[in-house]
Amino acid sequence: MATDSAAGESAGALTPGIGVIHDIGYQTYDGARFGRRTIALALCTQSLRSAFGIGRGAKAKIIPVFAFVIMCAPAVINAVIMALGRSHSRVVSYDAYVGSLRVLVLVVFIASQAPELVSRDLRSRVLPLYFARPIRRIDYPLAKYAAFAIALLAMIDIPVLLLYFGTIMQVHGGAAIWAQTRGVVPGVLVGLMWAVVLAPIGLALASVSGRRAFSTGSVAIFMFMTWTLTLVLTRIAASTGPHGAGAHLSSPAQVSAASHLFGLISPFTVLDGVRQWLGGTSPGVVADPGRYGVAYGVMLLAFLAVSLAALIRRYASVSVS
Amino acid sequence: MTVNQPSQAGLPAGTDVPVIATTALTRRFGGSITALDELTMAVGPGITGLVGANGAGKSTLIKILLGLLPPTRGRAAVLGLDTIAQGEQIRGATGYMPEHDCLPPDVNATEFVTHMARMSGIPPTAAKERAAESLRHVGLYEERYRQIGTYSTGMKQRVKLAQALAGDPRLLLLDEPTNGLDPAGRTAMLDLISRIGNEFGISVVLSSHLLGEIEQICDQLIVIDAGRLLRSATMSAFTQASQVLAVEVDEGGDLLAAELAARGVSVFRAERELLVLIAGEATFDAVRDAVAALELPLIRMEQRRHRVEELFRADSALAVAEAGTAAGMTGALDGH
Repeated sequence: MATDSAAGESAGALTPGIGVIHDIGYQTYDGARFGRRTIALALCTQSLRSAFGIGRGAKAKIIPVFAFVIMCAPAVINAVIMALGRSHSRVVSYDAYVGSLRVLVLVVFIASQAPELVSRDLRSRVLPLYFARPIRRIDYPLAKYAAFAIALLAMIDIPVLLLYFGTIMQVHGGAAIWAQTRGVVPGVLVGLMWAVVLAPIGLALASVSGRRAFSTGSVAIFMFMTWTLTLVLTRIAASTGPHGAGAHLSSPAQVSAASHLFGLISPFTVLDGVRQWLGGTSPGVVADPGRYGVAYGVMLLAFLAVSLAALIRRYASVSVS
Repeated sequence: MTVNQPSQAGLPAGTDVPVIATTALTRRFGGSITALDELTMAVGPGITGLVGANGAGKSTLIKILLGLLPPTRGRAAVLGLDTIAQGEQIRGATGYMPEHDCLPPDVNATEFVTHMARMSGIPPTAAKERAAESLRHVGLYEERYRQIGTYSTGMKQRVKLAQALAGDPRLLLLDEPTNGLDPAGRTAMLDLISRIGNEFGISVVLSSHLLGEIEQICDQLIVIDAGRLLRSATMSAFTQASQVLAVEVDEGGDLLAAELAARGVSVFRAERELLVLIAGEATFDAVRDAVAALELPLIRMEQRRHRVEELFRADSALAVAEAGTAAGMTGALDGH
């Protein structure tokens, strides 16, 4: 595989029996060389590992493992309740899971792990080394995006699958298992939608700074602020009494429109609104899209497009030298 | 020593292809700033020094050569590959060491260099081997499992060099590789670069704002100023040199220069030392007597090859001195 460039080795080989320490010289490499696609895939794999702290110290694993365990708790509790016979049907829904727990855990996970993927490289200024290699500018953010979307998918859908397996162990008959299987598929697809949309939002926010604290802060502040704002505004709009907080809203029609549209502020309520618009029946986190399902769909695409564009733009401007 | 280079896919064969060739290369930013101005040059194999002040256009040139920045006008080719059309292939065959710090502190050197070898397209197992090899070549074999954050500046520079070497490049672009190093570290780094260029058969282009520092290991020198080519020549052009004696004193350099001039010796004031043209045995006596007469603490007397910067004295290259391109060069010019 490698060719020897120095004469030292052959000289050493000609004198058997004598323990010669020799410099074997520089070895050139003429094995296989991968192109940008495989390189980007390797970067994606490495990033996926670092999203869970794999390959880093024990400290880096605390938050991802903790978040994952909490995320799995409803599935485990469901299995225990069903196994003990307290309930003969599933107590957690596939498509909404436990909405507010999912939001809370994901905010913590994204705020702590998105900076791990993007702001470390910004901080240590290692990016010029990537861009001086046979990949293109766009490959770096896309590899990070793919890695983080897979990480979020694992965070969301492994618990959903646990819920499924925990349930089918307790139900009897092919028909019941088939019903569960048909129920879990939309749940898994909702998880995919969450992962695909939340990953670029988290990465775009985290890549604002190489300072981890700012990075984590911008993710946490954006996600909590929009979430809280949606909660509060929706609640105000819902309280429609003449002396209530929503009194400034003149007609009941406006009130109901507002209570449906305030959900467009937070990515989480947009995701849940789209789920309901597409036919999800379980009670959601806050949002009720009402007649405005299309608006939620448009907003979802807007979140995806804007955050992805911001992420790609971020890396188009990184200087190499 | 000759090295059999593997024929890397897509790279033109043959040794007559210049490592770097630019034709009327021009790069403007925003219409008003001209970073590179009609730069035409050719770099052959071996070690090439790229000299210029900060802002002379070195970084812009490196970006264009790596195919990361399109030129406004003109064209450039690296290893016979066009920088616009074949940037990826160029980057696959080129190792780049940036000037600034670019290492994550919380990873060990082996992991980091392995990852960087993979990012050059080397498969996982071979990447590990190449990382170990590269770290051995730069002299970090014992410490290779230590976290980079615990390394000294000199060791970090070596890791930066190792990551550039890990992809088995045919060309190394080293941006100010001696930056931040102490004198011993500088010497060690230059020795290492010299070894890479001469024994490993890898062409090296190293940039520096100090001409005097890199001239000793270079086969060719390219001096750019304000984006223009000031001088490009092979070192053999400099070797029919008059002999020069470098004299370094702890203090009173100006006094000594005056004293030597009074004794009829041609002397040039350089950064930390005086450069004395050797006219014969008498020159040594004159220096000895002058130092003794002034009772100055003499640190060093060293006979060396004609210093390259003197070549620029003949040149009407005063712009270099004005821009303060190379401190050593400025000194020599002032002394004249």
